[in-house]
Amino acid sequence: MRHPVVIFIILFWALIVLNTQAAFSQENEKTATDTFPKTLTLYQAVMCEDIHTNAPRNQTVVFSVSKEKVVCFTSFDTVPEKTFIYHHWFYRDMPSARIRLLLRPPRWSTYSSIQIRKTDIGPWRVEITDVKGNILGVLRFSITD
Amino acid sequence: MDRLINFLYTLRWQDIVDITLTSYILFRFYVLFRGTNVFRILIGMTILWFFQRIAVFLGLIVTSWVVQGVAAVAALIIIVVFRNEIRSVLQARNLKSILWGFTSKTVIPTIEILVESIFEMALRKTGALLVFPGKEDLEEEIQSGIPWRGTVSKEMVMSIFWPGNPVHDGAAVIGGDQIREVGAILPLSHRDDLPSHYGTRHRAALGLAEITDALVIVVSEERGDVLIAKNSELKEVKQKHRLKQHLQEHMGIATKKQPFMRRETFETAMAAILSIVFITGVWFNFTKGRDTLATLEIPIEYMNRDPGMEILDASVNAVSLDLSGSGALIKSIRSDQVQVELDLSKAVPGNNSFTITRENISLPPGIVLKNVYPTVVNVGLDVTIKKKVPVQIDWVGRLPEHLILVEANIDPEYIEILGGERILSNIVTIYTEKVPLDKLGTEGSITAKLALQPASIKIATGSKDKIAIKYKTEQRSSAIWKDAQEKETTP
Repeated sequence: MRHPVVIFIILFWALIVLNTQAAFSQENEKTATDTFPKTLTLYQAVMCEDIHTNAPRNQTVVFSVSKEKVVCFTSFDTVPEKTFIYHHWFYRDMPSARIRLLLRPPRWSTYSSIQIRKTDIGPWRVEITDVKGNILGVLRFSITD
Repeated sequence: MDRLINFLYTLRWQDIVDITLTSYILFRFYVLFRGTNVFRILIGMTILWFFQRIAVFLGLIVTSWVVQGVAAVAALIIIVVFRNEIRSVLQARNLKSILWGFTSKTVIPTIEILVESIFEMALRKTGALLVFPGKEDLEEEIQSGIPWRGTVSKEMVMSIFWPGNPVHDGAAVIGGDQIREVGAILPLSHRDDLPSHYGTRHRAALGLAEITDALVIVVSEERGDVLIAKNSELKEVKQKHRLKQHLQEHMGIATKKQPFMRRETFETAMAAILSIVFITGVWFNFTKGRDTLATLEIPIEYMNRDPGMEILDASVNAVSLDLSGSGALIKSIRSDQVQVELDLSKAVPGNNSFTITRENISLPPGIVLKNVYPTVVNVGLDVTIKKKVPVQIDWVGRLPEHLILVEANIDPEYIEILGGERILSNIVTIYTEKVPLDKLGTEGSITAKLALQPASIKIATGSKDKIAIKYKTEQRSSAIWKDAQEKETTP
């Protein structure tokens, strides 16, 4: 009569220990998956005067109209899949331009630029959005004399 | 006849009250000041005013100026010169007598007591001198009087002039039913045509009567005569009823049977009628003169606005009112007398249309509203809300070519603003006022005010109206700078 009880207790404990280990391994697996986000992540967004060797040169928040060009550089650290983003250019809160840019996985840098003239002097902003219109970042700058 | 009926139909109750009240005021002026020098001067002033109006009407420029100047100076002189007389009229009487009364009833039994006392003293050959002031103030003419303020009684009068009394040689001044002063010294008459048996009392009585409108009664100590001095005249009175009559006449009291009273009543009635006629004439001149049309631009005042809402816009800020009335009234309209008010208590957010009716317009009496333009006013209202918006610097000017502004961090980055819901829905960013780049150093902090556009928006309580800017400049990357230099030097 004693053997079946002992066997039952041993089996019971064995079952509990095995179950606990399984739970730990599932959790570890989940954490490992989370470290690789599947969402599009904006790594860097800057306004600059030019792009040199795939990097922004002369990052600034004020552009002289004499430079004739303004560049919005964006870099995405995680691009889960091939997608598009938009650079919305606003002059004094009025839409001025919308530029669609392609992103490829796993990382991608891209930029848009506009030609500037005397009539563009004033405060500007660029909104970076995904294809669904979610705002990923906002850059503010001014065009001056 | 129809015209008269039409005219009576246009009369308002306010007009009747207006004429009645002003006529009564004028009539009371007559009652209070009649017989005084002030009254005579006032008549002179009125004549002067009429003369000036005639001069203006005839186009006599210099004459009208001179008369106007004389009238203005005369008005000032009257107040200064006759201040005592005016004061005695206004102060010596109680409010009731100023507004309504013609006589004081308490004086009638007093006169009888006085008459009895005077003839009693005459019988006993007790010398006495009693002064009854008229309308003029005697303050400057009578000296050394001892204030008495006792009610007139036969015993009192007799005791004052009892030879053993220290004040019996002076005069007693009697006003109403009161003995005001005793032992008063009166100015003496310098006339040399007086009978030789007249003593100092007689000269004193005449002296005061000559220069004032007071009535003075003398009881001769030697002969037991009773004499009255009034207006430079000294005459004996032998009967009590004659003395009573003189005193009543002097104090403005009389019975209906007496002829002078009938004359007085007639004069008063005439004054009352003339007052009404005169004021009615002036009223007609002011209100029913030639009709004049005038157009006034009056700003609209909005009343009872819900504090949670604000006025965004209105189709007009002012309305034109075509007004009609007599020239004098139209010319005298002040801007604060005409108001156009719109009640916003029932207004809702959005557009509201209001029709301007007579009830919305306040006009001074006698002015008639002919037309309003525009009759409809559209008012846009909005609910006031709070919104959090980012702040952006509005840079102007230019940095030196070799520098670029790499950082410009602002604090706070967001502010809360208050304004109409519709206005705030279009506001995404609040910009600073222009911030010049020219004065920036390599690194530092500056402050900038916020430029709130439109002006109706306000910064919410707790948010700052200035922002702090921390900036940093750096050398421009040489490749691009060189390119720029080359570009600038290229013809």
